[in-house]
Amino acid sequence: MKNNKVKYFISTLSMLFLTMAVWAQDAAVAATPKEGVMEWMLHNMVLVMGILVVLGAFVSLLYLNNMLLQIQKVRLLEEHGVEVMEEVKLLDEESWWSRINNKAWDLVPLEKEKDILLDHNYDGIKELDNVLPPWWVAMFYISIIYGIGYLGYYHFSDYGLSSHESYELEMEEAEQAVERYLATKADMVNESNVKMLTDESELSLGQTIFTTKCVSCHGLAGEGNSIGPNLTDEYWLNGGGIKNVFKTIKYGVPEKGMISWKSQLRASDMQRVSSYILSLQGTNPANPKDPQGETWTGEDEEATEDAIGMK
Amino acid sequence: MSRIEQFSYDNAIVKKFAYATIVFGVIGMLVGLLAAFQLIYPAANLGLAETTFGRIRPLHTNAAIFAFVGNGIFMGVYYSLQRLLKARMFSDFLSNFHFWGWQVIILAAAITLPLGITSAKEYAELEWPIDIAIAVVWVVFGINMFGTILKRRENHLYVAIWFFIATWITVTVLHIGNNIELPVNMWKSYGVFAGVQDALVQWWYGHNAVAFFLTTPYLGLMYYFVPKAANRPVYSYKLSIIHFWALIFIYIWAGPHHLLYTSLPDWAQSLGVVFSLMLIAPSWGGMLNGLLTLRGAWDRVRTDPVLKFMVVAITAYGMATLEGPMLSIKSVNAISHYTDWTIGHVHIGTLGWNGFLTFGMLYWLLPKIFNTKLHSVKLANAHFWIGTLGILFYAIPLYFAGWTQSLMWKEFLPEGILKYGNFLETVTQILPMYALRALGGTLYLGGFFVMIYNLYKTVKGQTLLANEAAEAPAREIVVPHKGEHWHRWIERRPVQMLVISLVLVLIGGLVEIAPMMLVEDNVPKIESVKPYTPLELQGRDLYIREGCLGCHSQMVRPFRSETERYGEYSKSGEFIYDRPFLWGSKRTGPDLHRVGGKYPDSWHYNHMLDPESTSPGSIMPPYPWLITDDLDMSTTADKINVLRTLGTPYEDGYDEIANDDLMAQANQVAKRLRADGIEQDNLETKEIVAIIAYLQRLGTDIKPSQQANQ
Repeated sequence: MKNNKVKYFISTLSMLFLTMAVWAQDAAVAATPKEGVMEWMLHNMVLVMGILVVLGAFVSLLYLNNMLLQIQKVRLLEEHGVEVMEEVKLLDEESWWSRINNKAWDLVPLEKEKDILLDHNYDGIKELDNVLPPWWVAMFYISIIYGIGYLGYYHFSDYGLSSHESYELEMEEAEQAVERYLATKADMVNESNVKMLTDESELSLGQTIFTTKCVSCHGLAGEGNSIGPNLTDEYWLNGGGIKNVFKTIKYGVPEKGMISWKSQLRASDMQRVSSYILSLQGTNPANPKDPQGETWTGEDEEATEDAIGMK
Repeated sequence: MSRIEQFSYDNAIVKKFAYATIVFGVIGMLVGLLAAFQLIYPAANLGLAETTFGRIRPLHTNAAIFAFVGNGIFMGVYYSLQRLLKARMFSDFLSNFHFWGWQVIILAAAITLPLGITSAKEYAELEWPIDIAIAVVWVVFGINMFGTILKRRENHLYVAIWFFIATWITVTVLHIGNNIELPVNMWKSYGVFAGVQDALVQWWYGHNAVAFFLTTPYLGLMYYFVPKAANRPVYSYKLSIIHFWALIFIYIWAGPHHLLYTSLPDWAQSLGVVFSLMLIAPSWGGMLNGLLTLRGAWDRVRTDPVLKFMVVAITAYGMATLEGPMLSIKSVNAISHYTDWTIGHVHIGTLGWNGFLTFGMLYWLLPKIFNTKLHSVKLANAHFWIGTLGILFYAIPLYFAGWTQSLMWKEFLPEGILKYGNFLETVTQILPMYALRALGGTLYLGGFFVMIYNLYKTVKGQTLLANEAAEAPAREIVVPHKGEHWHRWIERRPVQMLVISLVLVLIGGLVEIAPMMLVEDNVPKIESVKPYTPLELQGRDLYIREGCLGCHSQMVRPFRSETERYGEYSKSGEFIYDRPFLWGSKRTGPDLHRVGGKYPDSWHYNHMLDPESTSPGSIMPPYPWLITDDLDMSTTADKINVLRTLGTPYEDGYDEIANDDLMAQANQVAKRLRADGIEQDNLETKEIVAIIAYLQRLGTDIKPSQQANQ
């Protein structure tokens, strides 16, 4: 019987590790360095849930196994009687779990409660003299020790980073990661190499971006409104042509109210929307805003030098 | 045995507080629902300034905390205190003064908050005249409670009363400490603390309003009503002692966990973290003592709705007090802060712990004081299940919304740009969750109405036992007997208990707050930071009036995801003229600390008039009254004077010419608006001009070149 139990345990456990091993590979791919435990868990919610489900299944299996054992015992008990069972040591001893559990709580059994009843009586409310649950005491001590350790690590040692230092580190690592990524993309679009797109599908992607991001200040047809200028005439506040338009979108012109989009749009998307905007030239929509800025005649010239907001 | 004395318990005051609890529970939750619906349908503000989210959010929190739970505390205290001390309340007059005084304060809050009269400090929004009234009524309550304690017939104070004493003294200290302010006029004041110091004092208060208004008094009530309802002895006297003293000492330190990753110095943040973690055990001590008191009564929990409510209340308390410390861990807080996770967390506490314990008390106590039986156990059980479902429907979607939004805020594309650079995308994503939350709130309130009907049927036609006869032997001076527990000594000495509690709660506050006030290094000075101009100052006070900080933070945290989205992270030296600080605690909309100069004036004008015109899909309500209403310039001089007294370096005599400067700046803003084609008569005299001036100033004092030298 005992043997059986051990076998059962080992086989369940090995099944668990097998599945875990499969997952571990996914996890190794999914986890990026320097991610906090919580962030990792949140990013890998499915994995975490999966582990929980497997654990749950494992516990259920153990439980089921235990149930089967109990049924078996009852059958044996009925067949052979108590004496035989005791002889071969098949009757229940206290399980390891309930031993730990009892130690952790150190509860006085209900039937012995009167031995620890204090002589307190407040409007009929009495009090027992149970000890502090040992696990609770342990938790309290651990939290205090952890607290002391935490303060020591962050404020009295050279290891713990300050908020500012960890920010600098985060920025540095991110910058390197972005550089590594961009190195693999030789054809990145920027303001000095950007070309006008004429492909219909690219322009329609540009239009989608325009409709979601630009219309609130430049009007549905680019005619301008009380916030932003008309984009369909030949007058430009910050220079026309694909390079200037791209640059204006990318860095913004804060003092004239144009915001920077470089943290919201990919370079390729800025190229698409710039191209779409230039495709609106001369469309003469209704209710146009009065011309602002200078006329622009140059075509593929270099972006104007004084454009503001450049890094 | 000494002579048996005859006396009576005052149940009339208990009934009054019970009814007030019910009435303000309904009102507070209705306002909460109105706010919840506005997050899905901004038009639910009815187009009125007075019922718009920014103004009713503080109304909801104040009503729920101070009106619903507040009256619940007093109901329970007035019932249990008399019986635990075997004495009638010290003075019926003071009892009634306390009751009516408290209701008048609630009424004053219900009027002033929708009018936009607010000090902008969370859970302490009420202006100075009401603050004084609160102090007076609170002291009356204290006198009445202590008077009763002193004339008690019981020798020893039961654990419930320790909690009442600690509650009273600590709330007194907190209320006064956080409301030291100089009046400008009847309805406006500026606090003596500014910026980071103000933030620290506010969250020392705010956190401990949760601790000593929503927690310790309710623990006291738990210690009375749970053993009474279960008819079981309290599980462990030793646990009561340890967890009581540990709880009140440690709780007070935890305030800075509301300010993690802000401009508060790291050392203060760390104290907030470690003391929050150390709070788990003392908090759970309360939960364990409550739940284990039910040992041997669990069979009755299945049938008795009172016990059911109490069990879920205590469990919710345990869950919330474990989650709280977890949220105080910095790496978790980096995700949870400013999101709906926090809102879900606090509602587990209020709906579960405070709400359900209050329901349990009401179902148990009202039939008792009317000497009758509960009308329907079935309905009470129905209430229990509807309420539980309501809590789940409220909290789970908000947890999900919080995680979702936070992850969206932080997600980068490999090119190094934010995946959801437009904040609005992260809001529209979670609107279905907001709808579910509103459903959860509706369910919870529905259960509340079931209770009202049930209690109405219970007391209808019954007469109140206004003066319940009781008898007890007169108190003798006891000689301590050999071998008694050392703690019995202080249980006979209420005054000493009050003093020791006071000393314990002062320690944590002083260690954290005093260095912030006295050591200048804690707030490095930035030369380029200048006081607000008169127009910006008036605009700032409009920002406060409209409760903008309910949805917009002004604190860029030192994370890549925030500096990429908003700009350079916030420095403590930037806030030295901020009275009050306006860092906020929730981002339903984007952070605004670096919004200055980001958009043209005309963008703000159109955005305030109709947020959807500039931000399609936005759930921000329109603010047309800012555009039509004239700016009140009559207060400028007084405001300048008060601020100068408090230390803002306005020159002597500046108050006399401040309005000239104000008009000059207003004309410039109006000119820029007109240049963009906005036509409106007397544009320069309108409130919108002031708020635009303020928004355009925000975060612009430090220039990129100066940041590099930091």
